[in-house]
Amino acid sequence: MNRSSPAESLDKETTPEALIERFGRDLVNDFDLDDPAFNDRFDETLNFMAHKCPVVHSKVGKGYYMINTQDDVRAAAQDWQTFSSAKGYMPNRPDGLPYLMPEESDPPIHTRWRRVLNPHLSPKVCAGYEQVVRDDANALIDKFIDRGECEFISEFGALLPGWAFFKNVLGLPIDDLAMLVNGVEEGTFALDLDERARNFGEVFEYLDKHLQWRSTQPSRGDLIDTILAGVTYDDGTESPWEHKVSILVDLTFGGIATTTFVMGSAIHHLATNPDQRQLLIDNPELVENAIEEYARFFPPVVALGRTATTDVEVAGTTIKEGEFVMLTYACASRDPRHMDEPEKIDLSREGIPHSTFGVGPHRCIGSNLARIELIATLEEWLKRIPEYRVKPGGEPTYVTGFLRSMRTLQLEW
Amino acid sequence: MKVHIDEEKCTGHGRCAKYAPNVFRLNDEDGYNADAGKTIDVPAGEEANAKLGIKSCPERAISVVEA
Ligand code: HEM
Ligand code: SF4
Repeated sequence: MNRSSPAESLDKETTPEALIERFGRDLVNDFDLDDPAFNDRFDETLNFMAHKCPVVHSKVGKGYYMINTQDDVRAAAQDWQTFSSAKGYMPNRPDGLPYLMPEESDPPIHTRWRRVLNPHLSPKVCAGYEQVVRDDANALIDKFIDRGECEFISEFGALLPGWAFFKNVLGLPIDDLAMLVNGVEEGTFALDLDERARNFGEVFEYLDKHLQWRSTQPSRGDLIDTILAGVTYDDGTESPWEHKVSILVDLTFGGIATTTFVMGSAIHHLATNPDQRQLLIDNPELVENAIEEYARFFPPVVALGRTATTDVEVAGTTIKEGEFVMLTYACASRDPRHMDEPEKIDLSREGIPHSTFGVGPHRCIGSNLARIELIATLEEWLKRIPEYRVKPGGEPTYVTGFLRSMRTLQLEW
Repeated sequence: MKVHIDEEKCTGHGRCAKYAPNVFRLNDEDGYNADAGKTIDVPAGEEANAKLGIKSCPERAISVVEA
């Protein structure tokens, strides 16, 4: 097949030979989000692409493009007519997987749902959850503080986001959290695509049952009741049951599969940079800004997909109708055209123009809640455990695809 | 200084109001910019904050119409 290749570049650093020598593969014409080398050399690869590779292409499966600069990512994300979400957000989507609303839909269906869902996760409503989240952070710390060490991810980072979302927003029992976290993780990162589909299936089934049960209960006026009430689409039809279940699945994915990475990375950065830790302890008013910088630099959502609805040119590359396109939010947040020294973490950086929570109509609906979880974590942690370090041999381990997560991090104090 | 908030582009990141709470207000109900679609005056002395808010808006939804 004759595919138009990404823009020819005269740059010596981006010739296939130079790329293979440096990265082990031709990043521009043969990218692979699931390549273990991308996981291992994540920062270096992102920094390089943000500088040098506005668009790259992958030959994996049906193939996909990645858009890597902030201006092009923003333009594509806002232009949902050309870059549609209705065919899914993941490249090489397993067959038969139901589409997830609101993420895998376009306006006007998308707008109908966001309008009723947004109020449940507004800044004002989320501010009301702050104390509960702080108490939960402290309850988690209580369990290991006297031991003088912890495995941060399994004992804190993978738990707090689920607690915050389940208890406050969904009213779901936290006993089932471990099963759901595992299902979401394996559904995203399992190397075998059938294994991914099977795990997604289990999460769907669980949440479908919960929604059915809630439909037999008196209304609580919460997010679940809003989902159950449904919306009317522009053609006059009522949203079907499958859409309602998928809303709950999508929210659960977002609610538990993302924040952990920013949390773990921030705590790790502060463990290894005592001066920055002291800076935040001495200037607690900097914490909110620090969270934005950590979110910029440690993006749990590396890239999300769209499908081109027409032939379109991006940075000199022609993308044909029907091709799959990833918006690399992680690269957009390191665009040197929009900030100084993007490859450095600067907790005092002013006005941080990052794309970690997405851009355009699909802007992360959980962003207000995620920010509260992150602020509560840093503030409460530094109050309780101001002096700590990485346990020798306990350096963080990661897993990366179109999402990135931290698997383990051993700390001691 | 006058700034315009593009209604089509604002998707409720809330960054503007974080950096310039005396310039930008969010809707209580959904957290989008309460003045989306309007041109507003920046109170004297708030210009620097307003600029930070504008810079951190991921949508580039706010533009300066009069410096
Ligand atoms: C640091 C934590 C988080 C990050 C970095 C993050 C990132 C993102 C990004 C980049 C998108 C845009 C999707 C797109 O462009 O197609 C998104 C959408 C979404 N997020 Fe988050 N998210 C986080 C936390 C959460 C939380 C806590 C929740 C749930 C409470 C959540 C629920 C969702 C949902 C439901 C969508 C789909 C919105 C739509 O399509 O309209 N996320 N998120
Ligand atoms: S930062 Fe931008 S997108 Fe967010 S509320 Fe303000 S104007 Fe709207």
